[in-house]
Amino acid sequence: MIELAIGIILAGCGIGAGLALIAGIGPGIGEGNAVARACEAIGRQPESRGAVTSTMIMGCAIAETTGLYGLVIGILLIFVAPGIFVNTLKTAMEGWAHAFH
Amino acid sequence: MKVQPAVRQETAKIALGTAVLTLIMIGVFMILGRFDWTVLTGALLGWAAAVGNFFLMALTVQKAADEMKPTAQPAADEDDQEEDDGEEKPEAPLSEDAKRGKQRIQLSYTLRMLGLGVIAILGVTLPWFQSVAVLLPMLFPRIVIMLLNSRPSTL
Repeated sequence: MIELAIGIILAGCGIGAGLALIAGIGPGIGEGNAVARACEAIGRQPESRGAVTSTMIMGCAIAETTGLYGLVIGILLIFVAPGIFVNTLKTAMEGWAHAFH
Repeated sequence: MKVQPAVRQETAKIALGTAVLTLIMIGVFMILGRFDWTVLTGALLGWAAAVGNFFLMALTVQKAADEMKPTAQPAADEDDQEEDDGEEKPEAPLSEDAKRGKQRIQLSYTLRMLGLGVIAILGVTLPWFQSVAVLLPMLFPRIVIMLLNSRPSTL
């Protein structure tokens, strides 16, 4: 019984981590589009290079954090969460065993 | 490659802001009574990863901007006509330099995410680093940027 519960926990964590890492796709595409359009703007108005570069860096950093959130959540779900959930489950099972005997 | 003043300035701001937030995080660990040397090493690793990631991203953006050659400006009446029509025109195709810049930043993003993933996995699995202290500082640059943007304008 407990093996099945642990299996479900591990599967849930793996699926959740996979879903969280999907968040990493969007920022890469968006960042590329933003930089391409900013490059075009610099090409049209080379004198605005400094201002456009500053804005572009900050925009890219903001966009990128979304992917980072997904990465951090995915890593937590793979490496940290299973141990916590399995320990909680074992403690709960022991508590129930004591209560019923 | 020479680092532009804009890149240096923005990286310095982010490094300083992230350092302040990391110190606050260490203070919270102390208040909770969970501070030990692994928190310190973890915070240092997380801070270095966050600032290094930002700097590499800024360098890539600078390189993409530097490689852009000046192009002809669109005629003024074209813009006027666009406003008059009230219809959205399809986006103009990207120039070769812009396409190269786009590919460069996308490749850089993928490589930097891989690097950050490796650092995060090392930080979580190795016993010398506190996992939360490694992961949290990676999210601080966004908070710093939002705080910087929320300041009232001095103009």
